Amino acid sequence: MIAERKILVADDEIHIVHVVTIKLRNNGYEVVTAENGARAFELACSEKPDIIVTDFQMPVMTGLELIAKLRQCDQTKDIPVIMLTARSFAIEDEQKQQLRISECVSKPFSPKELLKSIEDILYQESVT
Amino acid sequence: MKLVKNLCAKIAGVETLEKQLADCADRAAKLEKQNKNLQIQIQILQKQKRNTEEIIYSIRDAVVVVEHGKLLMANEAAEKLFNFDFETSRHKSIDKLMSADKSEFIDFLNQIRQSKVRATRREVEFPKDGKSEIFDCIASCIYDQGERPCGVVAVLHNITRDKEVSQMKNDFVSHVSHELKTPLASITAYSEMLLDGEADDDQTRKQFYSVIQNQAKRLNRLIEDILNISRIESGLIKVQKKPVSLTILIEEQLQMMKSYAAEKGIEIIRFAQNDRGGPIVFGQVYADKDMLSQVIVNLLSNAVKYTPSGGSVKIETEVDEIAGMVKVSVTDTGVGIPEDEIEHVFDKFYRVNANKAQAKGTGLGLNLVKQIVEKVHNGKVFVSSKQNVGSTFGFELPLATAEVIKS
Repeated sequence: MIAERKILVADDEIHIVHVVTIKLRNNGYEVVTAENGARAFELACSEKPDIIVTDFQMPVMTGLELIAKLRQCDQTKDIPVIMLTARSFAIEDEQKQQLRISECVSKPFSPKELLKSIEDILYQESVT
Repeated sequence: MKLVKNLCAKIAGVETLEKQLADCADRAAKLEKQNKNLQIQIQILQKQKRNTEEIIYSIRDAVVVVEHGKLLMANEAAEKLFNFDFETSRHKSIDKLMSADKSEFIDFLNQIRQSKVRATRREVEFPKDGKSEIFDCIASCIYDQGERPCGVVAVLHNITRDKEVSQMKNDFVSHVSHELKTPLASITAYSEMLLDGEADDDQTRKQFYSVIQNQAKRLNRLIEDILNISRIESGLIKVQKKPVSLTILIEEQLQMMKSYAAEKGIEIIRFAQNDRGGPIVFGQVYADKDMLSQVIVNLLSNAVKYTPSGGSVKIETEVDEIAGMVKVSVTDTGVGIPEDEIEHVFDKFYRVNANKAQAKGTGLGLNLVKQIVEKVHNGKVFVSSKQNVGSTFGFELPLATAEVIKS
């Protein structure tokens, strides 16, 4: 486990944000949350998280729009992103590569497996 | 002797003449027989032609037959599609008959004739009223008596609607799966957390159980709504219509809604009058009571859901006995709907973007209202709204006739 890392969780479903937050906090992570893509972008700039977990379909700004914006901004362009979505089928491989989405986790999901994905990505980031 | 010889010669001549006449008569008989056969064949061919024409004219798809680049046959659907009159266009070049936007189709026909193929299929697209229509086109080469390719027969089936329906089905399935997976995601995630002992204390565990229960209820409501909409759309729902007093029905639903409104600090106001400004005694409609109850509940709960504490929800009933109509409207002092989104609020799964954070919903409640009012009861739904001021949702239904009430 890599402790003291900051994770941004963006989802308009309050229960999903809540359960992911508890799982991550129980495992030593600091968590910041956003209810839409626009708020997530603001937090990504101000909080500089180590990784972002975002939903696809959100009001104001969707997950894909958020990632595209993150990739255009110097401050946020290299933050790894996990897409946590019930619409993983709607994301093309090409789009995934282009936006450098580290992983797509399909809803319904296992918090345990999501945590493992986050830890794997953070570990990879730390060794490269 | 000479006379005898002359006579003999004449007799021989007569005999030859008789023979020639007999031959002629024989040939004439044969010709007549051949003529009769030909006439029969012509009649058969004419009948076959008429049958073929009748078959072609009775086909709802557009059919065109082109020979040496000229129009040989076309049915009514083809006349409409290509915008020509067959009688005046027969034997005219199709290049001139068909507009420039049909060039792709003409090229396709030429390819078929050159490649001498049978039943080749291709989708062709024609522009219409700023949009485009898609046709499934099947074309085959036709041959002359010398078995040389001389033209093409093409049948064009309009698949624009099929494509739209297919797209709608895909969108629906994709939307339904997303909407079903969302509460399911909470149920599975919170269950796993409980099983893994990640809820530290009783209060957290209670909170997790509560989320699971509420999300299961949400899932159930969603499935019920989807099934109801699907049953109404397919005409499979059992409708039990009888005279129903809207006044009484609204009162019943209001009693159930009052505690929910009170919890949120919202006042519910009831207002009812007839077209003479007097109170409504009955306001009877011929309707399915349970379905109509659902309409009123959905409208009232939406109004309460999107109205902040301290606001009010007014339910109004107006009876126009002359027009034979009753109008129910629910007006709130809620968040309102942006102008560009109003036309979509009755669409399946549509949720007003700006109001999603305000309250949870599936985007099916108002669609169900529309289906029940318009499809089941021949009524009409309506909406008006102003952002940050409030919205009015309602419906109009025909009043039950005296005969119906008596029966």
